[in-house]
Amino acid sequence: MKLAFVDYLILALYFVFVIGIGWTLRKRNKSAGEFLTAGRSVPVWITSLAFLAANLGAQEVVGMAASGAKYGIMTAHFYWLGAVPAMIFVGVFMMPFYYGSKARSVPEYLKLRFDEKTRGLNAITFAVMTIFSSGISMYALGLLLQLVLGWSFTASVLVSAAIVLAYTYLGGLTSAIYNEVLQFFLIVLGFAPLSILAIMQAGGWSGIQHRLPTVFTHTWTYVGHASENPMGVEVFGLVAGLGFVLSFGYWCTDFLVIQRAMAADSMNAARRTPLMAAFPKMLMPFIVIVPGIAAIALTKTIGSGYSLPLKAGGGYNYDLALTTLMSQFYPSGMLGVGLTALMASFMSGMAGNVTAFNTVFTFDIYQSYIRRNQSDAHYLMVGKMTTIVGTLLSVGTAYLAAQFNNIMDFLQLIFSFVNAPLFATFLLGMFWKRTTGNGAFSGLLAGTVAAFTTWSVTVAENKGGWLANLHQFPSTMAQNFWIAIVAWSTCFLVTVLVSFTSAPKSHKELAGLVYGLTDVPRDRNTPWYERPVTLAVIVGAALVILNLAFR
Amino acid sequence: MLDLRIPTGLFFAATGIILSAMGVFASSARAALSDANVNLYSGLSMLLFGAFLLLLAYRKRS
Repeated sequence: MKLAFVDYLILALYFVFVIGIGWTLRKRNKSAGEFLTAGRSVPVWITSLAFLAANLGAQEVVGMAASGAKYGIMTAHFYWLGAVPAMIFVGVFMMPFYYGSKARSVPEYLKLRFDEKTRGLNAITFAVMTIFSSGISMYALGLLLQLVLGWSFTASVLVSAAIVLAYTYLGGLTSAIYNEVLQFFLIVLGFAPLSILAIMQAGGWSGIQHRLPTVFTHTWTYVGHASENPMGVEVFGLVAGLGFVLSFGYWCTDFLVIQRAMAADSMNAARRTPLMAAFPKMLMPFIVIVPGIAAIALTKTIGSGYSLPLKAGGGYNYDLALTTLMSQFYPSGMLGVGLTALMASFMSGMAGNVTAFNTVFTFDIYQSYIRRNQSDAHYLMVGKMTTIVGTLLSVGTAYLAAQFNNIMDFLQLIFSFVNAPLFATFLLGMFWKRTTGNGAFSGLLAGTVAAFTTWSVTVAENKGGWLANLHQFPSTMAQNFWIAIVAWSTCFLVTVLVSFTSAPKSHKELAGLVYGLTDVPRDRNTPWYERPVTLAVIVGAALVILNLAFR
Repeated sequence: MLDLRIPTGLFFAATGIILSAMGVFASSARAALSDANVNLYSGLSMLLFGAFLLLLAYRKRS
């Protein structure tokens, strides 16, 4: 791919704007609360788009196109079965506790609801995982730009990290969130034309259906048995593992996204954040997955002029689907916009990680375990320093990933074991008064151990099973779903059992934190289109229609 | 407080103008697999979107 002057001009223009937004917001930095939690003052249309963009990192965009080419429209399950129902749930049912508790972070909610050790466990694992995932995606971006454009790995990593650092340091969370909105629009306007051009070239949706096996254009028809679809998953593992445990675990408990909703200017706005984000989220598959499907359709058509590149060891290199499409369908000019959109997606993901990390570190680790009772100015200074240190650690991790690729894969696996049981803890904590801190803590540990054990005794695609081979999964995806199901169930059971053996907190202490002891916000005086429940019903109906249309 | 529609609108209007200009003055520029004047169409859409955001921001001010 060769860039012209105009492409660099557009990229430079984007850099000027993101730093400019940070510069304009630099005065909103007078207290730790303003810097780290945006002072709960951001309008809802901004928080909802930021809620989406923080998750829409470069790995997500590139990976979804790759999965589209590999698995077809079934990839949309990550959106239409996974993310959107979980977003409805967090907005309607969980946000009243997060926002109403006045906690500044998700770990702090755990401290208020349970105890110090549960918070500590969650805060420390979250902080470590955030740095690593930020570094790993930085590594992936550097590698991709090196491969596609011939840019130096070091230059891509350092320049993109420096820009993210500049605007998050200048304007804190407000700046990160504001920029995420610009980045979101850029991702949509930069990738949507690619989707349109690639589909047109493949003869429209009917042309794609004609060129590919039918399994590539159906989401539900071929999930009866794992052997019928390329993902190798069956309906129970898919619905329970992906649709329930994994996506609810991410969208309902991960501070990276919850932080965006908690920055909203009112309880109603916080609840509407994920619900309003659900509308564009539902349509994202048409921008990020469908181009991948068009890419494989064009590859399978002789004489189409496009083919997915091959890997050295044989087989298609799906990860290059997006960038090769761009180089074939975008002329100089639009190519610059597409590349800028890729950079924007990377930066929105990385800024999400950095701002979540500095808040959890400052409030849940530093203020809780290192130095208590300092002045606000002191914590503001720590928050700013953490922003710098967090960015540097991410860069370090990116180089570590470049050196030890296998260790990174292993670490991500371990992280998935830690995350899998989380949703059981929050569900019980928010909706069952009797849940205790000891119950939550032992449930989390037991869930993680159960995940690790399941992985150790089952095999999929030659992965796992180092202890024994009790069960063979048809794919690693099926294995992941079932590991999540086992971890969640174990955590749920152990939390309930241990809770019965330990004393619960008094009702007074739990006010505002648990269902039944919290004033659920009433929406009588808000117009219908601003009521969370009404929005949830509309989102739900649209979701059913989408699932039926592509069944 | 910064009205985010202003910088976002300005960015897309500027990018839209650059792309539209490419589409008009370098109208022979085509990607390998597409006969469409991609720069012109995308540029005009971006310009329209940017102008729309600026209009909203302007109406709120006055």
